[in-house]
Amino acid sequence: MVAGLREFTARVERNGVDEPVLDAENGEELMHVQPCVSIVLGNRPPESPGTLYISTKKVVWLSDVDRAKGYAVDFLSISLHAVSRDPEAYTSPCIYTQIETEDDEHESDGSDSECNGVLDLSKITEMRLVPSDPNQLDSLFEVFCECAELNPEPIEEEEEEHNWIFSADQLEDDATGEDSEWHVSENPSIGQSNGDHDLARTVLELQINDQRFEDAEEMEHENDGGRH
Amino acid sequence: MLFFSYFKELVGREVTVELKNDLAIRGTLHSVDQYLNIKLENTRVVDQEKYPHMLSVRNCFIRGSVVRYVQLPPEGVDVELLHDATRREARGG
Repeated sequence: MVAGLREFTARVERNGVDEPVLDAENGEELMHVQPCVSIVLGNRPPESPGTLYISTKKVVWLSDVDRAKGYAVDFLSISLHAVSRDPEAYTSPCIYTQIETEDDEHESDGSDSECNGVLDLSKITEMRLVPSDPNQLDSLFEVFCECAELNPEPIEEEEEEHNWIFSADQLEDDATGEDSEWHVSENPSIGQSNGDHDLARTVLELQINDQRFEDAEEMEHENDGGRH
Repeated sequence: MLFFSYFKELVGREVTVELKNDLAIRGTLHSVDQYLNIKLENTRVVDQEKYPHMLSVRNCFIRGSVVRYVQLPPEGVDVELLHDATRREARGG
């Protein structure tokens, strides 16, 4: 679910200037544009000049000179952001961000992200945005805060498909069409005796309902595991 | 909402926020929202040798979903109040 940093080159020209293509259908809006911002990914050298776009969903940086160059990261993947002004930490005052990646267990110090000279953006865990005017940092920080708050964790939806039985017709199809776990034993047992078909069906439904609960239990375990 | 209400009481106090990536940041709690996003001021990284670049950070916004623990100041913990609050929460009230 965590996307991390990615390449982003979808631009549209509006009033003579480029803007990133946003997901307007899902309500994404541009909140802030900051020209003259260079971007630093991990321990790599800064890239500039570029323009920073902050939307209600993500942060986009587009190069001013190379139309094929740009990056984006969703607010959902930004673990923290901060104003960094100490020259010991970084030579220029900047917005410092940490990016949650798929594989957070193996902390990247910036070197893992580059393999054979090819940059793997999805492993970048730190991004700095350096505006040419440091006085913009506080207002940028506030925009970041505002937009981050617009992006709470999505409520986890059930991903597994349940083959729940909703009607007697479905039950009949399932019972005849598949090699089910249960079978009608030769010795009549409860619910399957004396040709009382309705009663048998009721009991079968009950059994299938039991299976449903087993599924739910498994899912809970999986969710627990996924959190760590 | 228990934690939200409770953390709001701690605004202005020193807390240590430990993230799921093991980074621990100490600072003054500036604000907290309903998603438990946390804003800290005058922060410093607890393990500065491991995260030297974080030294400088003055104010910091931490996404609620990446927080593992929040270490509270002992004097900020009103045990009686928490008892009541957790009982109310357990009753769904």
